[in-house]
Amino acid sequence: MTLPPLRLIPPSPARQRPAGALSMGPVLFNWSPDRWRDFHFRIADEAPVDTVHLGEMVCWKRQPFIAPHLAEVVDRLRAAGKEVVLSSLALVMSEREREAMRDLAAGAGDLMVEANDLAITADLAGRRHAIGPMVNVYNEGTLAFLSRQGACRVCLPAELPARAVGVLAAAGLADIEVQAFGRLPLALSARCYHARSRSLHKDGCQYVCAQDPDGMPVDTMDGRSFLTVNGTQTMSSRYVDLLAELAALKEMGVGRFRLWPQSCDMVAVAHLFRDCLDGRIDPQEAGERLADLVPEAEFANGYIHGREGHARVAEPLG
Amino acid sequence: MPNPPAERSRPVDPPFSPILLAGLALAPVPPRLLQPLFDAALNVVRRRHPDILDRLSDYPDAVIGIEPVDLPFVLLFEPRPDRPVLTVLRDFSGVRLSAVVRGPLAMLFALGEGRLDGDAAFFSRQLVIEGDTEVILALRNAVDGAGIDLEADFRATLGPIARPLIEAARVGGHLFRRLSRDMSLIRQALIGPALKSADAQSARINDLERDVAAMRRSLRAREQRS
Amino acid sequence: MTALSRPVELVCPAGTPAALRAAIDAGADSVYLGFRDETNARNFPGLNFNREELAAGVDYAHGHGAKVLLAINTFPRAGQPEAWHKAVDDAARLKVDAIIVADLGLCDYAARKHPDLRLHLSVQASASSAEAIRFYHRAFNIRRAVLPRVLTVQEIAALCADVPIEMEVFIFGGLCVMAEGRCALSSYATGKSPNMNGACSPASHVRYIEKGDKVESQLGGFTINTFGAGEPAGYPTLCKGRFETNGRLSYLFEEPTSLNTFAILPDLIAAGVTAFKIEGRQRGRAYVANVVTAFRQTVDAIGRGEAPPVFDLDGITEGGRQTAGAYERNWR
Repeated sequence: MTLPPLRLIPPSPARQRPAGALSMGPVLFNWSPDRWRDFHFRIADEAPVDTVHLGEMVCWKRQPFIAPHLAEVVDRLRAAGKEVVLSSLALVMSEREREAMRDLAAGAGDLMVEANDLAITADLAGRRHAIGPMVNVYNEGTLAFLSRQGACRVCLPAELPARAVGVLAAAGLADIEVQAFGRLPLALSARCYHARSRSLHKDGCQYVCAQDPDGMPVDTMDGRSFLTVNGTQTMSSRYVDLLAELAALKEMGVGRFRLWPQSCDMVAVAHLFRDCLDGRIDPQEAGERLADLVPEAEFANGYIHGREGHARVAEPLG
Repeated sequence: MPNPPAERSRPVDPPFSPILLAGLALAPVPPRLLQPLFDAALNVVRRRHPDILDRLSDYPDAVIGIEPVDLPFVLLFEPRPDRPVLTVLRDFSGVRLSAVVRGPLAMLFALGEGRLDGDAAFFSRQLVIEGDTEVILALRNAVDGAGIDLEADFRATLGPIARPLIEAARVGGHLFRRLSRDMSLIRQALIGPALKSADAQSARINDLERDVAAMRRSLRAREQRS
Repeated sequence: MTALSRPVELVCPAGTPAALRAAIDAGADSVYLGFRDETNARNFPGLNFNREELAAGVDYAHGHGAKVLLAINTFPRAGQPEAWHKAVDDAARLKVDAIIVADLGLCDYAARKHPDLRLHLSVQASASSAEAIRFYHRAFNIRRAVLPRVLTVQEIAALCADVPIEMEVFIFGGLCVMAEGRCALSSYATGKSPNMNGACSPASHVRYIEKGDKVESQLGGFTINTFGAGEPAGYPTLCKGRFETNGRLSYLFEEPTSLNTFAILPDLIAAGVTAFKIEGRQRGRAYVANVVTAFRQTVDAIGRGEAPPVFDLDGITEGGRQTAGAYERNWR
């Protein structure tokens, strides 16, 4: 069986963004539809972010809840001058999910789509699109291949150290984005651990994940906080905070920083990152203010320093 | 850096077996008299299975303790690529170990020959590993990958002297399996009361650990509120 | 039962030359293995093959009518892809029957540089849909995909009908409960990444602490489990640990258990799967010989249309427990 070759387009040169752009990632948690809509309205009106991602990345069973509000949220964000990117599902398995991904690629119109699974990449090939953090981009070979397919922006996997980030940013093949705030997505499964923790199955999950707007804490047997469960997704317990590394990463050519929505005041968080990127506030003070904004959080920056993801490294990058 | 294991922390209880009895008989024998036997064994391995040392070349400075719990001596293996050493000692006192593996001799032999799956032995808790798990895993994989057949190796090298040794090990392994069940009954009867008090002690330790975990959680909650 | 019209391939693990010979002697159709470095996802201490051992292994396999599949299934390090490229070049030179790859860039390199080298898509690529698999096929002429352990038998059957290449599934051994190749739990705890360094829950970060009658297993300093006297222990693979959620202690992700598909093997064969993979390159050759023998007899019996024999492999499985995993929908 012979299939037609994939359409290739020449790579577009990465835009130089000396200021560093801010992206609000898609909401990963199962927030109520009203909360989800109001969150984005407020981001549209008040948050100094350039881009906002919308779409269900974790569990397609949640999609019907946000679908009715999607159009008005897109309109509000665009009216406020934000770029809107539609993020795709991160683990595509069922016929329903596959069909939804085909529809997403076909119906996005002039909105950019972010691929979080290779199920959707063939449908996106030949036009500008983004690659999300759930697609494995570890090296320049992969980056070059995806760039030839039309990928113009790549949010890197959480575990990449600064050395690798620098190599990819220097390749100049796509706008490189780094996850800079919030609980880190670490793993995906077909199994729902929120349901399992209540002795339920995914099919009859009763949407118990909605009870934890920042995910369900997972502690070790001896009482240390360790991970967070968000339905089929497993996340870090600690929040990544790269305020202290922003300048060095920008220097390496990283063009964008992603903030993952948490239930804290994300408008204030976005202002801190914006101010820090623009040099209006020094990273240490920004870090202290961030800790005040999210008093329940413990912070980490280990991955970017080439260490354990949960580690907190005080020394500067480089 | 790996933590060196305690010099001789809680050993696996020796199973009752002819090896244990032979071990008791060997107890007065100074380890240095046994040393030539182990030098010969290591020479056999070096000659017939050079890939074992090759597979351990990432751990040139490792000091691996091997403790057959049913014998009155222990072994020290240093896989230095140029000059590997296998030393027999009374115990590990004064030795800085990277890691130690403990188990009945018959099981250590079976492991060495790949007749037994190391993971299975460990999952069933018949082997105990302490210290740098990576070194032990490397040794296990290296030995397993070499396809050692101790009987053939020794026969090829030592000739007729090897025979009684091999027979002893084989009979030991057989009897060990047959007798281990009976022995556990005898053991229970002899040291039951002592075990009971140890059980009570570990129950108290369990309670304390639970308290510590609970305190950690409440401390964390308090820190978050303040 | 009726006899099978098409042959099925038993793909067996070879962590060492001795395990390779054991697997082939026990009836493996193919063995899979890796070089002794971080180019493969079982980069465990003391394991795997150097170039000479691979050449000898290929000779032994081909002499017995078996194939050799070389896993180069980690993700090349940014700026330093040489070791991975050399692994691909050497695979072609040493005439392995296929390489098992996960990284898009490495697929691209292999397809361009060695167009005749057969490519299998590793489970680490996490291609769980017909769209993803067809994408790899069109872009790199991938000839077979190893399916992630997230799909049900029904989903696999639909997939087989919907893709133009061979499918391979896991039938026995260690069980990833997360989508493979997309799991950073181990690197979060240890700083060593399965995708970059080739080992999940690496032994260098494992400690067993004896505490009275209990043994506590730790990974990267985090307590993963404790085992009481006589309780079967487990390696502290993160997703098989005991954790506390909402005040309740449980095996939140998965019990220490092994995948076993003896019962559903006929269904998987009927679903159209070509190749059946046994996990366990890190296990000893005794394990390999036992498991391969059991599955050889089972597959042959199914092939003849007979009822398969019954095997008890409890003694060599983790925690002494077995599951059909994601192949059954209620696992989710």
